[in-house]
Amino acid sequence: MSPHKDEHLDLCAGYVLGNLAEDERRALEGHLEEGCAVCEVEINRLGRGAWAFAAATPRLLEPSSIRARVLDTVRREYGQKEGRAGSRAAFPRRQVVRALGWLAAAAAVVFAVLAYAEWQQATRLSRDLAGSRENASNLSREVQSAREWAALATSPQTRVIDLKPTPNGSAQLHARVTYDPSTRRGILSVAGFEAPPDKDYQLWALTKSGPASLGLVRADPAGRALIQLSNAGDPFTLAAFAVSLENAGGAPTPTAPAGLLVMIGKV
Amino acid sequence: MTDQERDRLCVERMRAGDTRALEELYDRHNGLLYSVVLRIVRSPGDAEEVLRETWLQICRGTATYNASRGTVGAWLATAARNQSIDRLRREGAGAAAGVDAPHPTEDASANAAHRQMSERVGRALEKLGPQHWQVVELAYFGGLTQGEIGERLNTPPGTVRSWTRQALLRLSELVPQEEWA
Repeated sequence: MSPHKDEHLDLCAGYVLGNLAEDERRALEGHLEEGCAVCEVEINRLGRGAWAFAAATPRLLEPSSIRARVLDTVRREYGQKEGRAGSRAAFPRRQVVRALGWLAAAAAVVFAVLAYAEWQQATRLSRDLAGSRENASNLSREVQSAREWAALATSPQTRVIDLKPTPNGSAQLHARVTYDPSTRRGILSVAGFEAPPDKDYQLWALTKSGPASLGLVRADPAGRALIQLSNAGDPFTLAAFAVSLENAGGAPTPTAPAGLLVMIGKV
Repeated sequence: MTDQERDRLCVERMRAGDTRALEELYDRHNGLLYSVVLRIVRSPGDAEEVLRETWLQICRGTATYNASRGTVGAWLATAARNQSIDRLRREGAGAAAGVDAPHPTEDASANAAHRQMSERVGRALEKLGPQHWQVVELAYFGGLTQGEIGERLNTPPGTVRSWTRQALLRLSELVPQEEWA
C-alpha cells in the first residue's frame, strides 16, 4: 500500500467537489483502493461539509408544472425498460414449444405477442390518462395561484414601498415592493439593476431581529426583473426592505464592505 | 421515524419498483435540487432537462446508494449537481457566463431550517475569509477545476487546495456525524 501523506488530504477536498485534475484524481483513487482509512474518514468528513454548502443554497421557486412533466418522463422511460424486462420473463417461449408442439407453440407465441401488445397499449393509455389528469390538476393550481397573486393589486391593505438609493447606491437603480400585510405576499419590480461581474443584488427584509434574506435579484439583460415574494415578512416586525450588492451567490447576512446597502425603503 | 429513515425506506421501495416512493422523494427534495441545478445551468428550460436526467439516473442507480457515505438528500443533491456540471461542460463556458440568464422567483417561504442552515454556513465561512467561500462557490456551482480557480484568483494551486479543504472542514462541523449516516 502506498504510504499516506498529508498531500493526500488536500486532494480529498477536490475529490469530494469533483474538481481535481485527471492525474490527481487517478492518483487519489489508486490510494483509496489500497484501503487508506485516513483518507476514507477525511472524505466522509469533507462530504458533510459539501452537503452543508449545498443545503444552504438559496431556494428558488420551482414552477408547479415541472413536477408532472419530470415525473411522467421518468416513470415512462424507467417503467418501459422495467416492463420489457418483466415481459420476457413472463413468456418462456422455448418451454411452450417443447410442450405443445409446433402449431400450438406458434399459436401461443401469436397469442402472447397480441396479449403483450394489448397490455402495453392499455398500460400506455392508462398512464396517459393519469398524466392528463395530473396536468389538469396542475393547471388548475396554477390558475388559482395566478388569481391569488392578482388579488395583491386590489387588496385594500396593499402598500407600495418605493426603495430609495443610499449614498452607496446609484440614481439609476429603481425598485418598488408591493406588499400586502394580510397575506405577507409581495411583488418586487426593479429597473436599472445591472450587477457588476461576480456580484449579485440581494433583497432583504429588515426586521426588529435583524435582516432576513428575501433572495437574489437577478435582472434580465435590460436590467429589469419582477419577483414574487410568497412571504415578504411579518407585518408586526417588518420595518423596511433593502437591497445590497453582494458577491456572486449572495450572503446569509449583508456583508459590508463586500455587501453594500444600495437601496432602502421603510414599510 | 426521522426524515433520514423515511428517505432510506423510499430508496428501498424504489429498488422494489414502487414509483410512489419516487414521488415522495421528489416532493421532499426537489426544491433543493431545482435550486442547485438552476443556479448552475441558469436556464429554466435546461434545469428541467437536467432534473429529468437526474431523477432517471437516480431511479436506475438506487443500488449505488451507500448509507455509510451520507444521507439520501446529500446523494440526490450530488447527483443533480454532477449532472448540471456535466451539462455545463458539454455546452462550454457560454452557459456559465449567463448567456441565457434566468429570472427565477426566490422562494421566500423556504422553511426555517433552511434559513438557519444558510445563516450558519455564512457565519462559518465568514470566520475563515471571503477566499474560502469563493473557492467552494467556484468549484461547486461553477464547475471549475482547482487549476482554473487558481488562474482566476491568481493563486497557486496548492493554496486553492488548502482553502478548499479548510472551508469544507469548517462546514462539516455544521452537520453532526449522527445526522449524516
